[in-house]
Amino acid sequence: MNVIVNKFTKMSYKKIVLYTIIGLCFAASVFFINHNDSFYERPIAKVIKINLEDTSEMIDIHNNKDHLFTQRIIAEIKNGENKGQLIHLKNEYSSSGAYDQEYRVGNELFVSIDTNTEENADLTGAIKDVKRDKYVLFIAWIFIFILLIVGKKQGLFSIISLAVNAVLLSYALDVYLYNPETSLVLICGISVILFTAISLLLVNGFNEKTYAAIIATLLGTFISLFITYLVIWLTSGKGLRYEEMQFLTRPYQMVFMAGVFIGSLGAVMDVAITMSSSIFGLYEQNNNISIKALKTSGLDIGKDIMGTMTNILFFAYISGSIPMLILYFKNASPLAFTLSMNLSLELARALAGGIGIVLAIPIGLYTSIYFVNRKKARS
Amino acid sequence: MTVLVWLAAILFILMILIGGKKGARSFISLFLNFGVLLLTILFMTDPNADPIILTLIACAVISCINLFYINEVNSKTTTAFISTIITIIILLSFIVIVTENAMIQGFGEEEIEELSIFSLYIGVDFVKIGASVIIMSTIGAITDVAISITSPMREIFYHNPLISRKDLFASGLSIGKDILGTNTNTLFFAFFGGYMGLLLWFKDLSYSVGEIVNSKVFSAEMITILCAGMGIALIIPIASWINAYFLVKTREKGKISK
Repeated sequence: MNVIVNKFTKMSYKKIVLYTIIGLCFAASVFFINHNDSFYERPIAKVIKINLEDTSEMIDIHNNKDHLFTQRIIAEIKNGENKGQLIHLKNEYSSSGAYDQEYRVGNELFVSIDTNTEENADLTGAIKDVKRDKYVLFIAWIFIFILLIVGKKQGLFSIISLAVNAVLLSYALDVYLYNPETSLVLICGISVILFTAISLLLVNGFNEKTYAAIIATLLGTFISLFITYLVIWLTSGKGLRYEEMQFLTRPYQMVFMAGVFIGSLGAVMDVAITMSSSIFGLYEQNNNISIKALKTSGLDIGKDIMGTMTNILFFAYISGSIPMLILYFKNASPLAFTLSMNLSLELARALAGGIGIVLAIPIGLYTSIYFVNRKKARS
Repeated sequence: MTVLVWLAAILFILMILIGGKKGARSFISLFLNFGVLLLTILFMTDPNADPIILTLIACAVISCINLFYINEVNSKTTTAFISTIITIIILLSFIVIVTENAMIQGFGEEEIEELSIFSLYIGVDFVKIGASVIIMSTIGAITDVAISITSPMREIFYHNPLISRKDLFASGLSIGKDILGTNTNTLFFAFFGGYMGLLLWFKDLSYSVGEIVNSKVFSAEMITILCAGMGIALIIPIASWINAYFLVKTREKGKISK
């Protein structure tokens, strides 16, 4: 007990205020998310009783076995004019659950209510969707807490920079939607400059190390985008299947390029800041270090991070296609067709990002050395 | 020649020019990882196989490639490997609970239209596959953080051989804090870039905030991003602790044998 008390007295006033604010935010958001039913226009119903009515086995044309179930659900409406009334719903689901779902008591669902003809009869309706906001919030808070516990101040800064970047991206997309004649790539170019400046300055502060990293990041991403664009232009986009983006009513090639741009930015930034902080670190440890020694150590560091960084992008992009690939395979689609339909864009993104990462190594090295030289000349 | 072949060739040349032998190994590792991923997916199509176990095996193989093949087998990469596996197991058990409760598995109503030609009743467990998607998308980042912590920690240990386990652990944590921000950034921008079309589409259809947050596609993407960030943060104390423990233990063993 004494340890805890000691810990509290040791904490500065500022920290206590900060913890209290975070705690209050947490409590308020949890309270809100559990009582926000009335803010939704769509009717929400909470499942209170379930009857499993029917079970059947089925085999599809590709010889895949599955089980189908039918549930009768009684749920209570939580908002709108029918609040408090019971509603009868029917749900069919399979044991694989690709596009259906078994519901349990306590689940909250968005429903549509049938217009009732008879007086005093119970309501009937259909299930539209699941209310997921609670879970998203819950996980967001766990994420914030883990980042704060592990990263303390740096954790807080990374959360802030992520939030600012997300708002900025959303705003940039809004600008594009209201001015569809301006190029999305151009808008993303401007946002990339802002993203880089904000993220790096916020985490590393105003100093030469950061400036070198910003310049290297921008050069790296722009050059890799240019190379990707050149390749797509020279081959006239051969081998890229845009089918998975076909739901868009916008020119999807441009949306894809903008995605490549933004997607590789984080990785390139990571490489650039690693390069510049290690070069500056070496210089600060030994002011007389030769440029040649800086170059060799810089390249060694670059070699070390190159492989793992490209792998980060690779997995982040490819993994999202796993369910789709499984669905294609189970429907007896040929391997080559399945891969080109589902992975061509993801692989192109990963490769373009990889090019950016590798380019950022020499660029980061030379810009840092340039800044080190300038510092040397001044002192 | 297709776009992909060109881009791969350019990447290969650049990697060799800058990284030499190690660059070549990094490039080959991409192919090996792709092979492992594809093989895992093919195994997952078997309804009797448990996707979670397959994912665990795949993660172990992938981190072997990322750690032992690109670098080499030594105390740095071994501790990085052990901490990666422990983190994956912790994260995976959390993610399975999340995907089950948030019901984000499979496909959203936005995607279902183009899938109408397919039979959806294919007998595999999409909840578990959903969990596997999330963990697979972070495996690259988790191994990266693991190796970036264990390798400078060993340098610190060499320069101060008498450092206590607690101080070593603290130095690992402080290294981790520095890379936490940039690594979460890397993943976030990668996901933003990947979901660009989706975001535009939501905006085009002028979904309300409530509709976006509750839709299966968006909440699945959000949960993926957040779980990826958690993985990066979790590996930091785990890798620091395990590395500190092993380094100090080898020192103590050395003393006894003397």
